[in-house]
Amino acid sequence: MKPSLACWIAPLTALALLGACSKPAESGKKSYAFLTNGVASFWDIAKAGAEQAGQDLGVEVSVLMPDGVVQQNQMIEDLVIRQADGIAISPIDAENQVDAIDRAAAATHLITADSDAPKTKRLLYLGMDNYEAGRMCGKLVKEALPDGGKVMIFIGRLEQDNARGRRQGVIDELLGRSMDPTRFDPPDAVLSGNGYEILGTLTDQFDRLRGKQNVDDTLSAHPDLGCAVGLFVFNPPLILESLRAAGKLGQVKVVGFDEAEETLAGIAAGHVHGTVVQNPFEYGRRSIEVLHAIASGDRSVIPENGFINIPAREIRKDNVAEFQADLRAKLGR
Amino acid sequence: MKKQAGMFLVLVAVCVIAALLSPAFLGVGNLENLTRRIGLFGIIGIGVAFVIVTGGIDLSIGSVVCLTGCGLPWLLVQLGLPPWLALPVLLGVSAVVGLWHGWLVAVVKLQPFVVTLCGLLVYRGLMRGVTQSQSQGFGSGFQDLRWWSTGKLPPEAGAVGCALATLLLAWMAWRARKSGRSPLPASAAAVLAALIGGAIMQAGFQVPMPCVILIVLATLTAAFFHLTVWGRHLLALGSNEKAARFSGIATTRLTLLAYVACALLAGIAGMLFVMEVGSAQPSDFGNFYELYAIAAAVIGGCSLRGGRISVVGVVLGAALMQVLRNVMVLAFPSQQQLELAVIGVVILLGVLADAGMRRLPARK
Repeated sequence: MKPSLACWIAPLTALALLGACSKPAESGKKSYAFLTNGVASFWDIAKAGAEQAGQDLGVEVSVLMPDGVVQQNQMIEDLVIRQADGIAISPIDAENQVDAIDRAAAATHLITADSDAPKTKRLLYLGMDNYEAGRMCGKLVKEALPDGGKVMIFIGRLEQDNARGRRQGVIDELLGRSMDPTRFDPPDAVLSGNGYEILGTLTDQFDRLRGKQNVDDTLSAHPDLGCAVGLFVFNPPLILESLRAAGKLGQVKVVGFDEAEETLAGIAAGHVHGTVVQNPFEYGRRSIEVLHAIASGDRSVIPENGFINIPAREIRKDNVAEFQADLRAKLGR
Repeated sequence: MKKQAGMFLVLVAVCVIAALLSPAFLGVGNLENLTRRIGLFGIIGIGVAFVIVTGGIDLSIGSVVCLTGCGLPWLLVQLGLPPWLALPVLLGVSAVVGLWHGWLVAVVKLQPFVVTLCGLLVYRGLMRGVTQSQSQGFGSGFQDLRWWSTGKLPPEAGAVGCALATLLLAWMAWRARKSGRSPLPASAAAVLAALIGGAIMQAGFQVPMPCVILIVLATLTAAFFHLTVWGRHLLALGSNEKAARFSGIATTRLTLLAYVACALLAGIAGMLFVMEVGSAQPSDFGNFYELYAIAAAVIGGCSLRGGRISVVGVVLGAALMQVLRNVMVLAFPSQQQLELAVIGVVILLGVLADAGMRRLPARK
């Protein structure tokens, strides 16, 4: 007779219990995890911040970078099994991860950072208001193209809460609409107003070759493109690559988001008008600090509205050198 | 030959529709972009064709692309190796990968699907580990090296190339006639090559380097399969491995060769991809590219059962996919999310039409 299911389940359960009991933290140190939404240089900076906080507080910090929503959910489950004392997460698909996040929130302290999941039971959201940052980005576009023109938006993917807010902010600012973060224009609409024509939003799902091809093809289809807006950290460098190949550097304006090295170098060289930077170092550092405070019983760090604002900043040619120096110091490069 | 003619007509039809949908399609700049992409994806298509001919499959191409694509900037920028050392090192690594696959398949007799599936996981994982999953890029340096992917040859060079191709095809037509076969396909191709040469000069079309590299590699591959004994043996091996072995063909050595060729071409393409984009992220660089390669080979007339290859077909297959992608962005940027579905449907229609055409004469 074949061994019955119970024969298998018993030792497996024992093993799982054993694993659950042996916490990763030796010597009773508290352990926290920061779960990113992907692999990017942006997250390296957040990692530096989280690890800094770990050192300062004497706690264990692990920064995990998943490969997509499936792996992110698996990582959440693994962290719960590992009995992490707190999790900070940037959800990839906030709308559809409610169950996974709520399960973890019931088992441990959970906050969202960088991108929110408002429908979950997370304790708070730490980050910037992406819609406002998007409007900031839109203002930069207006500065670069004061007389209006054609604008195309390039972004990694649109499922994320932060991506939507950011994109909508750019659109609303350009079209001169009122502040309304809940608005959502479908990506298949050409929008115009105020002298600006927003041709559309092209996604690349994090395939960089694809991202560059999107820019190449846009330049072919619209030789009179006025401004290319790159909203994820790797988009502005790809825009620059494409413009360089087409010999259109400086001719087509570029407005970026985040602080890729190439973007900052592009601002210094005058090929990029400006970029809106978040503060990933602070996301990492503050997330761990807040989680540690909550796990130690201090719930006063949770604000009324559940939002800890780490505001975005605009970087233009006049402050780029100072910003670069500060960034290098933080990364220890 | 009929198959390639059919696929060529499908490609022409798609191009005509594309030009009608978007006037920008026929712009010189867009055609240069397109031929560069066809060059890049054509190279991995030809690579996998070597393995498909033996009746095998290589699922690790995307990961080998990641291995050399992230490896090149990593060696050059992080480790400070000079290009003359980094390039041979990565080619060597690719060749070893191919040799390893070939050995496991031909000597240990493991299934190619399993061997290369493990390769898919191992090489990407390795690269993520080695680079700590950090994005690897050239910064603003190595523009000379990157010329191999971003550079273009002047129209004159393209025209000379077309003239040579015309002569070669004319000679092939003459030979076909002499040996009693129809000279029509080769003559038609010769006329086409001459026309393309004229158009290149007329429009001032600069030939992107990946396209040149693809043409060179495709010509060498076609010559290998049609003019050398080894090529014939490889086809025989693919049709019936046992029969080939009993007739004294060195099947083990040939299988090794096929996997090495595939991995080498994937390695070369990986380096060209990263030279084109400027940076690579180990977690996603080259993801799914094996499927683009396999699709190009299959559209181009390679049978997954082995024993059949058409280098021209593979290039046409790669071209068809890139044209479709390009059209989606040019003409329907708002429907970009549907792109994969459109590509899939058009490929399926092409394969269906081909199957239908082959059944017609059989019914008579």
